[in-house]
Amino acid sequence: MLMAHRIEGLAGSEVEEAPASATPALHTAPAAPVAMMPRKPPLIAPRTLLTWLFGALSLCMLLTLWHFAVKYRVDFYIRFNNIPAPQAVLEDAIALIRNTRFQRHILLSLQRILTGFSIAALIAIPLGLLMGRNRIARELIFPALEVLRPIPAIAWVPMSIMLWPSNEVSIIFITFLGSFFPILLNTIHGVQALDKVLVRAARCLGANQLALFWHVVLPGSLPHVFTGLTIGMGVAWVSLIAAEMISGQFGIGYFTWEAYSLVRYSEIVLGMIVIGVLGLLCSGLIRLIGSWVMPWAHRAQMESD
Amino acid sequence: MNAATAEATQTGWIRVEDLSVRFTTRTEEVVAIDRASIDVKPGEFVTLIGPSGCGKSTLLNVVAGFLKASSGSVTVDGEAINGPSVQRGVVFQQYSLFPWLTVRQNVEFGMKMKGVGRSTREASARTLLGLAGLLAFENHYPDQLSGGMKQRVGIVRALATSPQVLLMDEPFGALDAQTRVVMQEILTNMWQKFRLSVLFITHDIDEAVFLSDRIYVMTARPGRIKAEIRIDLPRPRTAAMTSSPEFITYVQQLRQLIREESLAAMGSELHDGALAGFATDVGPGGVAGIVNA
Repeated sequence: MLMAHRIEGLAGSEVEEAPASATPALHTAPAAPVAMMPRKPPLIAPRTLLTWLFGALSLCMLLTLWHFAVKYRVDFYIRFNNIPAPQAVLEDAIALIRNTRFQRHILLSLQRILTGFSIAALIAIPLGLLMGRNRIARELIFPALEVLRPIPAIAWVPMSIMLWPSNEVSIIFITFLGSFFPILLNTIHGVQALDKVLVRAARCLGANQLALFWHVVLPGSLPHVFTGLTIGMGVAWVSLIAAEMISGQFGIGYFTWEAYSLVRYSEIVLGMIVIGVLGLLCSGLIRLIGSWVMPWAHRAQMESD
Repeated sequence: MNAATAEATQTGWIRVEDLSVRFTTRTEEVVAIDRASIDVKPGEFVTLIGPSGCGKSTLLNVVAGFLKASSGSVTVDGEAINGPSVQRGVVFQQYSLFPWLTVRQNVEFGMKMKGVGRSTREASARTLLGLAGLLAFENHYPDQLSGGMKQRVGIVRALATSPQVLLMDEPFGALDAQTRVVMQEILTNMWQKFRLSVLFITHDIDEAVFLSDRIYVMTARPGRIKAEIRIDLPRPRTAAMTSSPEFITYVQQLRQLIREESLAAMGSELHDGALAGFATDVGPGGVAGIVNA
């Protein structure tokens, strides 16, 4: 859960900026309830500008450190002798970006993530809603899952290869396993953390069990479901890369491992950077879907979860 | 709307007879309410007042259908209560709006459950929101509203299913004193228009006198009905009345009754000497004189 808080905190601060700068023009009408609106910032808040500036500076610092460590071949227990310089990686990236084989690595990894993660979400969310709501379902299913949960997805690799007909399916299975538990547990938590007064209110307003589930339990647990999806996506990438390194024939994880075996050092770094960027894009996509599905969830609410 | 209000004045008779509610905890049995009898006549505004923990909210929860009576009978228009129902609207102490729905969608919720069509729903919700002065905020989410506005939406939402009775559990308890006074005026004004039966819970004496036709005073746990006071102030009630001698007499009378109960509720604390310190002489130096001595 600690991890969830950190992720949500970061997400919130980004999400909140956008609507604030978009509203002012609309709310200058005379009778508009201005008093209730958040304070109007200038077109680009000075603080946002400063944040960007510091961000750029921070990245520059990292690149500079890297550059000089390689240039002067730092060898002080930690060794930079064989590490490629940033320029070398950039040149490699430019050369490889049009390479169809490289593109296939990326596409295949994305396809595996999408398949494994989607199946996990499609099973874990309904199951979590059921287990959160129904005590019998919870007590019947939970013990079995609790036994499996502490086993890291990567530990499943040998078993997975035995279980499934092809390497491809077993890699997708590992990805699925990685994302399944965070999504399931957060969904269950979301249902159980739902304020009881909302359930009471809905029942007084004539909601039957089905309506209660559809109109109250489901939307009420969505913030937690999305926390689970964000964490699940992160773990899915970890599991995918490990699985690809061990048993893959394609994929960006395999590409990185292969570069090491073939002594193409700058490709190792390129692989790492691509993995990082893809992971970032995938969690960004989930946040985007989240803010689209839950327009009501502002920063304050996300942080309080 | 007119048909609904006319009907509401005929129905909505809450009768609570010899109601007892007991909870069993791991160690003991707690009697929350002990043989309490109250009634709310159709179109009457009745308040239950008492020290905190006296079981007044428990009584309301039984009428709402959230809790079962251990013994005694609770009926509305002669029908026994069997779970929550749209006939009994509830306004909760905590903010109970659905955060994922806009203000108007919150108000429409009950009508939607009834299967009322979209356009009818929308029109009724807008009329009701207009009455509460909230039309400008119909598309806001609850998180964007102040506490007072949230509770007004809560009241409007409870009214939107045209219930026979309205149950209000310290609805203004979380508001600051200034907002609270304005909310009381808005509520009495709305009640004047709809004239439906209201069972109101509070521990605020001024609020009780200002709003009610009758007030029941409850004792400290176990909750019993200690007194029943009829408030013969003219309607419609206005803010100016709160400084009238009659109003003040009622407030003082209630204050005396409730003080006895508060002292009783603090019983064990009092034995430990909560008020014993009154007699201690601190000398001219104030706190500094004591601390630096």
